[in-house]
Amino acid sequence: MKETAISELESHPEAATELIDRSIRVPVLFFFGSGVFWLVVASAFYLLSSWQIHTPSAWWAFPGVAWLSFGRAYPAFLNCYIYGWATCAGIGTGIWLLSRLNGVTLRSPLFPVIAGLVWNIGMISGLFSLLAGASTGRQLLEFPSYSAFILFFALAMISLWAMTIVCNRKRGIVSISEWYLVGAFLWFAWMYATANIALEIAPAPGVAQAAINWWYVGALVQLWLTPVALATAYYLIPVISGRPIYSYKLALLGFWGLALFGGWTGMTHVIGGPFPAWIVTASIVAKVLLMIPVFAVAANFHLSMKGHFGMLRDHLPLRFVLTGTVVYTAFSLAGSVISTRSIAQFTQFTFVTVMQNQLGLFGFYSMILFGAFYYIVPKLLNRQWLFPKLVEAHFWLIVVGFVLLVFDLTIGGLIQGFGLEDPQIPMIAVNDLLGPFLAIQDFAALLLVAGNLGFVVAFMLILLISRPVRQREAAIEQSNEASESTEAEVSVA
Amino acid sequence: MNKITGLFFGVFVLFGAAWFGLVAYPYLTFAGLRQAKDDATGALAPQGNPGTAAQGARVYAANGCLYCHSQFVRAQDEGNDIDRKWGTRRTVARDYMFDRQVFLGTSRLGADLSNVGVRQTDPQWFYRILYSPQTMSPEVSMPAYRWLFVTREIQGQPSVDALKLEGPEAPSPGYEIVPTEEGKVLVGYLLSLKKNYPLPEAPETTE
Repeated sequence: MKETAISELESHPEAATELIDRSIRVPVLFFFGSGVFWLVVASAFYLLSSWQIHTPSAWWAFPGVAWLSFGRAYPAFLNCYIYGWATCAGIGTGIWLLSRLNGVTLRSPLFPVIAGLVWNIGMISGLFSLLAGASTGRQLLEFPSYSAFILFFALAMISLWAMTIVCNRKRGIVSISEWYLVGAFLWFAWMYATANIALEIAPAPGVAQAAINWWYVGALVQLWLTPVALATAYYLIPVISGRPIYSYKLALLGFWGLALFGGWTGMTHVIGGPFPAWIVTASIVAKVLLMIPVFAVAANFHLSMKGHFGMLRDHLPLRFVLTGTVVYTAFSLAGSVISTRSIAQFTQFTFVTVMQNQLGLFGFYSMILFGAFYYIVPKLLNRQWLFPKLVEAHFWLIVVGFVLLVFDLTIGGLIQGFGLEDPQIPMIAVNDLLGPFLAIQDFAALLLVAGNLGFVVAFMLILLISRPVRQREAAIEQSNEASESTEAEVSVA
Repeated sequence: MNKITGLFFGVFVLFGAAWFGLVAYPYLTFAGLRQAKDDATGALAPQGNPGTAAQGARVYAANGCLYCHSQFVRAQDEGNDIDRKWGTRRTVARDYMFDRQVFLGTSRLGADLSNVGVRQTDPQWFYRILYSPQTMSPEVSMPAYRWLFVTREIQGQPSVDALKLEGPEAPSPGYEIVPTEEGKVLVGYLLSLKKNYPLPEAPETTE
């Protein structure tokens, strides 16, 4: 379509890399910029909704303002975070990875930039409709059907773009990252179309709606966000560290295991729900078996980096990425544990499930994508991050905030769960016990948002103020990096 | 696995399996549900909901009630919902067969609402908790939904729906606080939430 591989450059990988980066600079930065914008919007709604849940009648919770009430601010936060920040950042990173891995340059940025614009139009119309009271009331599908249609149109363009890159590939081997990305772009378009058709256009009967909604949520996390983040980690860890991926077979296991079990996991959100028992049981089994690919991935990363963890001190992007991969294991393990029936009895309606979602969103996905930003943006712009201390501050603020949040919500959620399961304790008394935990949540949210604002400032600075690196230095950096990436790709073949 | 066609094939087949199991299968099978007939009385259950309940469900969705309230009762061996008096039996697929929208929910910061229309039958109770939850109990963590109400001058007879409030929350003399159309249909919907009819697949739990 618009992409073309430049075969005469095959023998000059460093020049090819530079050409590829230059050709996709505008669309990738457009998606990155959109992601950063939506991260700011999502952060505002995140803070607002965590205050509202703690102190519903205080003035800072805007009591009585319909469009800023908890029931709208909370889905606004989740939708802006997932479809705004996480998805835009993931599309930008995914497209950059696919172009690099396949050695394909983009002929015209027009098509992907239009797709990005359409995506943002869908987001804005969806957010305003949600705040105005047009939510569909389906979790993670709150945007009304017209916004969903616009989003799907953009998504179809993006997936088509991604597949065009793959089909124009010039290299013989298909790398690990590419498996995940091919899966992710196809699955996301498929699941989004299915969910909107089966819930809005030709609505499913009764509880089938709930089944499809939760199937979608499970698939969105396991087969869109997860593969994008893992693809990024599989590329960046060897490229930055210079260490090859330890085992190709483990990587195969990790990928095909995820593809096999990931789509079945959603129904663990509604254990004990009004479904035939096998549907929920299938999800629980899938969630437990999912630990096989998770451990395969974790072992692979660990063994690749073994003995070289000292690098994390100086290589900030690598530090973000590896932290994210560690949290991936924790996120999946927590997910399996709270999906077993005997434990879900106590945890399923509590803050423990919120904690598990945030392990995935904040600690796993976003950590890896932050690392990707810190690595990719300087390459695209040929500039350096101003104030490395700001990046360091971002890392520590979100790590401290995140760890605090996880412990707080786990303990608070368990107390809530045991309270709810004791019929002698009235509901109001259960919620009273949560007070201090909600106060700590406010504080942890503040740390997370402060850290992310540091990231936003750093992104604005490199985009608007930072000057290009001198030509000679740039050339050296480019050639180093090119040889690194060649090595990395060979090593996984 | 170096062949890109093998990758595409695997990606479609594996995702397709879950798609059939959790999307296509429920979509087709739940359409086949029928009302249950009580052998003794000949009554059919569940009965469909009035049209206002469907409109009220839209208001329920718009204001995000589902982020704090669930709408399903677990069986006795899966949780203590029945001991908490949220229902006398577990809820099953047939309970929801007429619902245009199903709000199962995943959080219980608030009470389960599967049978709230059984526990509370007075619309005033619902108007009051929506308008000013803190007057019912100071510690309750529910926000107030004041945009579902209007304060207006009393024209002739006071409205039957007017809120009966005392103290600082009460309207000035000659004025009344009444629910808007949205407020009324929402309460209509909440009053319709009753799953207390017998179903053969979910016998009532006896102590």
